[in-house]
Amino acid sequence: MSFREKTAWVTLIAILIVSAMFFLHGADIFQPDPGSWELHMLGLSVAAFILIEVIAYVVLYVRNPKDARTPRDEREQLIDLKATRLAARVYVIGSFIALAALPIHGASGFAVGFGVLMAFVIAELVNYSARILYYRRGF
Amino acid sequence: MTKTPITNKIRRLRFDHGEMTQQQLAERIGVTRQTVNAIELGKYSPSLEVAFRIAHAFGVGLDDVFTHADAAKGEEGA
Repeated sequence: MSFREKTAWVTLIAILIVSAMFFLHGADIFQPDPGSWELHMLGLSVAAFILIEVIAYVVLYVRNPKDARTPRDEREQLIDLKATRLAARVYVIGSFIALAALPIHGASGFAVGFGVLMAFVIAELVNYSARILYYRRGF
Repeated sequence: MTKTPITNKIRRLRFDHGEMTQQQLAERIGVTRQTVNAIELGKYSPSLEVAFRIAHAFGVGLDDVFTHADAAKGEEGA
């Protein structure tokens, strides 16, 4: 498994863990006036994600520095582009749903914002899942 | 998974050139070992530049490394 595939796995697992923790504990975000707890949870989630990423990247780098320092080749660049393009579409659709559909049902501004955030998280899950799929299949 | 219509003789050429490993070939042409593996298995078609680098690494022409499926059928029919 290449360094890029390993880091894709790390990011995917980190997003799953952190977003599951956040959205399970942040079930009240769709209430009219979410408290500061949800905002604190958001900050903690971002910090936890960054911490997991940094630790994992350092461990992977130390285990194989040569592979880590090798620049992305053309196949890896194409995989990144394809996965990013797919994720962008998911994000646009998800954001549109959050911005257009949620207010119709009386959701607050906070809820719409969190809806857009959820769209971003789902898009990133699609992004890294697609990368892993392309790496596994060869392209 | 879909294979590309381009076949290649990279594995054979590696063996004929001192049993070159995929990693060694990858270092010579500037790609990762996984990319060399994907090319060999027909899962990925390299760019023209990388294709030429592969041919140059073996000291042969492009046609001696890669064959297009349509071209191969044309030769059989001739």
